[in-house]
Amino acid sequence: MNTPPDNIIQVKDLIVKYGNHTVLNGINIDVKRGEILVILGGSGSGKSTLLRNMAGLMRPHAGHVIIDQQNFTAMSHFDRIEVRKTMGMCFQSSALFNSMTIGDNVAMPLREHTKLEESTIQIMTRIKLEQVGLGGCENHMPDELSGGMKKRAGLARAMAMDPKIIFYDEPSAGLDPIVAAEIDTLILDMQHAFGVSSIVVTHEMESVKLIADRVCMLHKGKVIALGTLDEVQETDHPFVQQFFARKPNPIDHNKENVLESLTNPE
Amino acid sequence: MSYALGYIGRVTLNSLYASTSVCVLMVDTINWIFIHPFRGKGLRIKSTVEHFVEFGVRSVPIVAMICFLVGVIIAMQSAYTLAKFGASILIADLVSISALRELAPLMTAIIITGRNGSAITAEIGSMKVAEELDALKVMGLNTTKYLVVPKFLAMLLALPCVTLIAMLVMIFGGFLVGVFSLNITPEAYFEETAQALVNKDLISGLVKSFFFALVICWVGVYRGFQVTGGAEGVGKETTASVVTSIKLIIVVDLIWTFLFFKAAS
Repeated sequence: MNTPPDNIIQVKDLIVKYGNHTVLNGINIDVKRGEILVILGGSGSGKSTLLRNMAGLMRPHAGHVIIDQQNFTAMSHFDRIEVRKTMGMCFQSSALFNSMTIGDNVAMPLREHTKLEESTIQIMTRIKLEQVGLGGCENHMPDELSGGMKKRAGLARAMAMDPKIIFYDEPSAGLDPIVAAEIDTLILDMQHAFGVSSIVVTHEMESVKLIADRVCMLHKGKVIALGTLDEVQETDHPFVQQFFARKPNPIDHNKENVLESLTNPE
Repeated sequence: MSYALGYIGRVTLNSLYASTSVCVLMVDTINWIFIHPFRGKGLRIKSTVEHFVEFGVRSVPIVAMICFLVGVIIAMQSAYTLAKFGASILIADLVSISALRELAPLMTAIIITGRNGSAITAEIGSMKVAEELDALKVMGLNTTKYLVVPKFLAMLLALPCVTLIAMLVMIFGGFLVGVFSLNITPEAYFEETAQALVNKDLISGLVKSFFFALVICWVGVYRGFQVTGGAEGVGKETTASVVTSIKLIIVVDLIWTFLFFKAAS
């Protein structure tokens, strides 16, 4: 039997622009099967843009995203749907459908993509919700849940089709440390129990230490470090050092420069 | 000078971009109604029925009330002039023809724009802001099939139905004024109305309402997808949706009235 290739996602020479502004400038990353890759970087470094391109929510200006040996960027609409059935995404805002119950949210991909009996879908929905610790919540509406519960419900929905890849956009942003730790544990559980490959965009260093197999650091649209957390921390790129040391950018106190920037913003 | 040229250029480019986006949306919608369902991709019948109830059934009370009152108002206003010529009975003609050809389709379309066109924009816009549209895409669900087509089909069915009711209610409003205020006998009023109307009046009204439905739905959906920013963006686009819809409804009304007018002469 052929063993599946090592890389589940390959990003090749990805260039993304918003108007004339280049957000990602020639990104090359490979995501290994079953690993948790954390994307780090300052605000505006293009982390979320990279994640959205990997998930096919944006079309890049140039370059390719290859998922499981298939060129995701270049394929037709209906082929993309087939690939999307093998991926899930947890959004920063959870993105649960507010007009539906939590159960219907989780059941939706199953109802749309499979021909399973409704009774089977109900059972699978309950199993998925149990896995994220939300057993018995299927009849609640999203606005009846707390932020952490919504994130977990979003994860249950992302897992509904038993995906090979899950993308997480700032999974622990805005959550208290306990709930954030619960989400980290869930991400690890998904990896251990189902061999899911995860790509996580986050700012939480505690979370990175706990979950990351490898870390990718973005700065000004380029990958400046890629490797295990220790390897990345040892990189002598000034931004990497500044990032891990939590050093602020120096504020310009020169009166003339400040006056110049106020009167002539260009 | 360069400012003026720049302005014209920007407006032209924006209009071209908007027209292209609307055309892409139209082609996609038509594909998902007439082509993909026959390739086994399915239509969302349940959602279409739910939207039909929302756009059609639930709009009936407000449309009926307003159209009834408009019927009463036209009858009273015209009675003032017609009575001078001793031609009060012609109120039946005036109310029924204007209701069928013009006022019922127009009033219904404007009420439904305010009631449902804005709701379509707000719903899709809020979903966009809350990343729900992205969630649909990541799940491999097509936003056109899932969100646009049910609304579109429901609107195309609902608006002519509600317009029919509006026509009847408006004529009934005129009838009450004629009978109770101008002492026309119910039989005479009914006979005059039946004599005045021809099939073409009804058809022209329904053709208009069909095209109004296209306008309300496409503008509502297009504006919804254009939302950027947060709650403020939703508000802005919702306002723009209603304003654009009403403008286009009047333009479409003018075009069809002109065509029917030319065809008759």
